[in-house]
Amino acid sequence: MTKNKKKYKLSPYLMVAPYVLHFLVFISFPVIFSFVLMFNQWNIISPMKFVGFQNFYKLLHDAQFFRSLLNTLIFLVIHIPLQIIIALAFAVLLNQKIRFIGFFRAAYFLPVVVSGVVVTILWQQLYGYETGLLNRMLAGMGIQKVGWLTNPAIAMASIAIMATWKNVGLYIILFLAGLQTVPRYLYESADLEGANAWQKFRYITLPMINPTMFMVVILSTIGGFSLFIEPYVMTGGGPLNSTLSAVLYIYKEGFFYYHMGYASTLGFFFAGIILFVIIFQKKYVERETG
Amino acid sequence: MKKGLPILVVLITCLSLSCGSKNAHDANRIVYWASNNTDEITFARDVVTSWNNESPDKNVIFQPVPEGQSSEEVILAAVVGGTTPDIYSNMWQGDVELYARAGRLVPLDTLPGFMELLTARCDSSVIKEVTSTDGHIYQIPWKINPIMMICNDNMFKSFGWDTPPKTYSDFFKAAAEIKESGFVKGYQTKWIGYSEVIVTWWQRLFDFYPLYLAASGGGSLIKDNKVVFNNKYAVSTFQFLKTLYDNNYFPRERLSSRQDPFLSSDIAIRFTGPWEIVHADKFKSKEFEYSFSPLPVPDDQKNTAYTYGDTKNIVMFTTCKNRLASWEFIKEMISEKGDYLLLKTTNQLPRRKDLTTNPLFLNYLNNNPKMKPFAEQSKYVKGPDSCPVLKEVFDAISQEYEACVVYGKKSPRQAVNDAAKAAEIILLQ
Repeated sequence: MTKNKKKYKLSPYLMVAPYVLHFLVFISFPVIFSFVLMFNQWNIISPMKFVGFQNFYKLLHDAQFFRSLLNTLIFLVIHIPLQIIIALAFAVLLNQKIRFIGFFRAAYFLPVVVSGVVVTILWQQLYGYETGLLNRMLAGMGIQKVGWLTNPAIAMASIAIMATWKNVGLYIILFLAGLQTVPRYLYESADLEGANAWQKFRYITLPMINPTMFMVVILSTIGGFSLFIEPYVMTGGGPLNSTLSAVLYIYKEGFFYYHMGYASTLGFFFAGIILFVIIFQKKYVERETG
Repeated sequence: MKKGLPILVVLITCLSLSCGSKNAHDANRIVYWASNNTDEITFARDVVTSWNNESPDKNVIFQPVPEGQSSEEVILAAVVGGTTPDIYSNMWQGDVELYARAGRLVPLDTLPGFMELLTARCDSSVIKEVTSTDGHIYQIPWKINPIMMICNDNMFKSFGWDTPPKTYSDFFKAAAEIKESGFVKGYQTKWIGYSEVIVTWWQRLFDFYPLYLAASGGGSLIKDNKVVFNNKYAVSTFQFLKTLYDNNYFPRERLSSRQDPFLSSDIAIRFTGPWEIVHADKFKSKEFEYSFSPLPVPDDQKNTAYTYGDTKNIVMFTTCKNRLASWEFIKEMISEKGDYLLLKTTNQLPRRKDLTTNPLFLNYLNNNPKMKPFAEQSKYVKGPDSCPVLKEVFDAISQEYEACVVYGKKSPRQAVNDAAKAAEIILLQ
């Protein structure tokens, strides 16, 4: 009996131990350490130097960081609506009874599981100014070539299009799951009332998939905020810093120039912005859905 | 639970052991890290085997630098984790000042016979170049890979150029001819050259910096912690490169993810090092001929063009317990025999002043004529300046380079001025 009691006391702790260990080493410790670093100057190899609020002062006067925030915002403004519209449209199509449905579902999901670096290199070829497939097609139609990645005004939009292509499959699946929870009888009674396809979509489908919509908005906002691989591989943040995302900027400060204290300050500040946006989105969706 | 506990104990023991240092420093052995490319691994193994056979009491353990995004990052991680080797032979010269100031490197000039050996090996200009701002020397100039201009001989000959262009004017002339010849159905398919259009700081080591050294006769960017590149040479280098982009002689798009544009004759030149020989010989077509030339210089520059040497040096970390024995091993590594082995095995040039006069090296160069221009150039190479924030200075230059050279948003004069101002602020911090 005592043995059994002992077993029941220890077992739960042992079960959670791997996760707790992982959480303490790879999440809690870095977060606490980064917090300490915010008030210090540290280039990794020399001892830390306490600088008080100097890193915060630097942040407030760092035009390049605010430029990177603006770039990230531009990316989000293009990427999120584009992703939601395309994902929802394809999810509605894939929710129909059509042939080879399994094939189409798998095909649209495929880019999600392909490595980000591979996708980026592939799109780099498509976006080439002289040699890219897209410009060759445009030239074939008599349209002027576009500097997809060399024109600062549109480089971020090009990256947003690519990121949408890469991630849309995941959101199609989420929307598809949401669509399949909508009861059939709602559509049947709408049919009896003489509603057309658009009215059914607007007044039945959209309200019914609101929780999925909320999840998709949150996920793509968080995903969009963490934009890194695409500009890192494709443009290095150029041209003229037009694709320098906030995460790429923080990475450069930390791991190119070893400004660990400052990078931590930027990281916390940026995390605060993400948290604020997510809370705002949550409140907004809660208000809209009652 | 009875069964579970021993497993848990074993797991924890394994974890603790795996977290421990592999390079636990002890006085009876020397840990040596070399670059992890195949040729250098072969070289390092041969040197270490021969040393261990002759000196069994001072055992050297060789290990290629562990895999990582770059060897610089791995070394940084090792320094932080206290797992540095005793000797590392692939230290980028630009990083030495940072580690030296942090007290992580042994001042080698305090070792017996160091200065005598260094004076015999290198010119005074090289010794000056590797001397840190505190007056000590923390590195031994070991090897160089001078950046030169690889040229597609077939292409130049087809335009009537017997030798590749040497001055800016000639370069523009050749560039215009190549561009004109490369229009197919309205697409430009040929350019004189290409350099990666990315703003990352190290990319400037392969375009702006060697051309600046060529124009200025080996001038510095930073001297005694002061910006000294706000001069006519930097402006003329920016102007030269800007003209190339303004006229589409260099493409703005990135060609790096496609078939090698040099070997496919889409470009006629590239600024590169001797590592290109192995690559070109392996992938070129039978008829494809290439050669190496010094970098182009301003029209009024009559002296031999300097270039960036991509210098990699040997350092000893302060974690080393057996410094005298380590120094003995290093001496063996950079002896005439060791340097010849390096040249023969890796096709990389030892940084020594008798490279083109010593019969041993001459013999090798005669048998490998493609390496000869690099050996000739080796007298006119420069490494990065001693400065702990050199990467940030290069980043400031790179930002202005992109704005002026690639996208024409600023004049060269303005861009150099702005880069200098930014660098001055970085140096003050």
